[in-house]
Amino acid sequence: MSNSNVSLYLDPQIRDWVLFPITLVMILVGVFRHYVVLLLQSPPKKVPRAAIREQRALVRSQILRATSAESPIPPTYYKSISQHLSQAFSNGTYLKDGPPKGDSEKSTPPNPLTDPAAMDGMMSGMKTQMVMMVPQMVIMGWINFFFQGFVLIKLPFPLTLGFKSMLQRGVATPDMDVRWVSSLSWYFLNFFGLNGLYRLILGGDNSADSSRDMSTPFAAAAMAGPQPGQPQDYNKLFKAERDNLEFAEGLYSWVAKDVEDRVLRKYGR
Amino acid sequence: MDLSSSLQRLSAHRPQPPRKAQETLDSGLPLLDSGKYARMGDEGWEAVEKLALAALDVGKIDVADRCLRALADKFPGSPRVECLTGMRMEATESPETCLKYYDDLLESDPANAAAWRRKAAVYRRMGKLDRAVEELSAMLDTFYADVEGWLELADIYSSCHQYTHALQSLSHALLLAPQNPFYFLQFAETAYLAADIPLATKMFLTAIDMTDDDDADVPLRDTIPTGITLRAWYGVKLCTHKFITDPRAASASASDTPGPSAATLSQLDDLSRERLRTAYLNLKNESPPVADTEFMSVVATIMQ
Repeated sequence: MSNSNVSLYLDPQIRDWVLFPITLVMILVGVFRHYVVLLLQSPPKKVPRAAIREQRALVRSQILRATSAESPIPPTYYKSISQHLSQAFSNGTYLKDGPPKGDSEKSTPPNPLTDPAAMDGMMSGMKTQMVMMVPQMVIMGWINFFFQGFVLIKLPFPLTLGFKSMLQRGVATPDMDVRWVSSLSWYFLNFFGLNGLYRLILGGDNSADSSRDMSTPFAAAAMAGPQPGQPQDYNKLFKAERDNLEFAEGLYSWVAKDVEDRVLRKYGR
Repeated sequence: MDLSSSLQRLSAHRPQPPRKAQETLDSGLPLLDSGKYARMGDEGWEAVEKLALAALDVGKIDVADRCLRALADKFPGSPRVECLTGMRMEATESPETCLKYYDDLLESDPANAAAWRRKAAVYRRMGKLDRAVEELSAMLDTFYADVEGWLELADIYSSCHQYTHALQSLSHALLLAPQNPFYFLQFAETAYLAADIPLATKMFLTAIDMTDDDDADVPLRDTIPTGITLRAWYGVKLCTHKFITDPRAASASASDTPGPSAATLSQLDDLSRERLRTAYLNLKNESPPVADTEFMSVVATIMQ
C-alpha cells in the first residue's frame, strides 16, 4: 500500500464534540426508551376462568401420555382417566363457549383485527415500535444534518477492503484507509453494538436495545400479546388429541406390573 | 383389628416434617425488626412472607400484621399478598367473613387459584366437607397441575372413608409427580385401607424399588432399611400377613389387580420379615419375637 504512510490527523475537538456526544446520546436514549416502555406496558389482561380451563385441558392429556409407557397408576385408573378425557374432548366439555352446536359452529375463526383482545396486543407492540423509531429517526437526522461526512475515529486494528462500505458510510473516498470510521457508520455501530452495555446497566430483559426489534419490525408486535395473531381452534386440537390418547393407551404399561419379581431379584431371592 | 387402626394412624401422619413455625419465627423476627429485608431483594420479601405464615401458625397476630403491612406497601394488589391477608382474617374473623372475602377476590380475578384453595380450606374447617370437595374439584378441573390440591382432596376423602375416591385423587398426584415415592407410599396405604390388598402390595413394592439405595457398595440384602423404605416394608409385611391369614384377600381387588402367586408370596413374606428384623435389630439391639402377630406389633413401635 503506497498510501499507508500518509497519515491523517483528526482535530481533538471532533473527539470531544462529536464522537463522545453521539455515543452518550445513544446510550441515554436507550435508557430513556427502556423506562418509557416500562411505563407503556399495560398489566397483563385477566383471563376468564373458562378460557384458562380450555387452554390447560390439553396439558392434562399430555401429562397422562407423558408417562404412559411406564405409567405410575394401575390399569383401571389409567383407562378411566384416559376414557374420561377422550369423552370430554369429543363432547367439547372443555371448550370456552360450551359444546359446539351442530353444523352452525363450523364458522371461520374470528378475525384478529376485530377481536379486542388481539387488538390490544397489537397496539402495545405498535407503541413499543413508535418509542423505538421516533428517537432513532431524530438522532439519525441530527447526525446527518450536523456531522455529515465527518471522520470520527481510527480503529486500532487493520481491516480488509470489504469493510469499507460498512465503516465509511457517507464519506465517498476511494483511497482512504478502511480503519477510519465515518459519523454515520459510528451511529450504526452503536445502534447494533450497545446491547451488551444496556444489559450491564439495565439487566438482562431490558427493552433498551432497538436493533432487536428493528430487524423484524412486526415480530415484536405479534409476540407482545398473550394470544398469537391466529386464535387457536381448540375444538380441532382436542379432536387431534383424542388420537394421541388412543395411541398412548396402546403403549400403556404399569410400572408395578412385575415389581414383585424385580424386588425379589434385587434382594437375591 | 389393631393392625388396620395403626395403619390408619400412619396414613394420617404426613410424610413431610412438621412445620417448624416457632423456629422460623425466632430467626425471622430480628430481620423484621431491623428492616433489612427491604434491601435483600426478592429473598428478603419471601422471608417476610414465610415469617407472616409462621406467626399465624403460632398465633402471633401482631407480628403477622406487621409483615402484612410491609408486604402490602411493597406489592399493592398482588394476589399473593391478598391471599395472605385472607389467611390473617381466618385467624380472627368468622368463616363467613373469610368466605365473603375470598369470593370477592375470585370475583375480581377468577384465575386466582390460591384464593380458591383457601376457600376450600375454610369450608373444610367449617365442617362442610361436601362444599370443600366441590370447590376443590372445580379448582382442580381448571388448574389440573396442582399436586397439593390433589393431595388435599385425597386427604378429605380419606377422612370420611371414601377410599376409592381418595385413590382416584392420589392417582392424579402420581401422574403429576411420578418421581415422588411418598405419593406411592400414600397410594399403597390408602389402597390397603380400601381393602385392595393386591394393589397395595404392588404399590408398596414400587415405593421400595424407588427408595432402597441400590447404588451402595454393599449388597442390597446387607443394607438397613430406614425411613420411607422401612415403612414400605412394613406395609408389604402387613399385606402378606393378610394374604396368608385371609386367602380371599387375593381375589378381592376393586382394581382387578392379580395377587402374587403362592411361591412369590412366601418369598415376599420371608424377605419383608427379614428386612424388618434387620431394621429392628439395628435400632433396638435385640431380636424381635418370632410369633407373627407379636412381631408385627413390636416392629410397629419403631415406625414412630
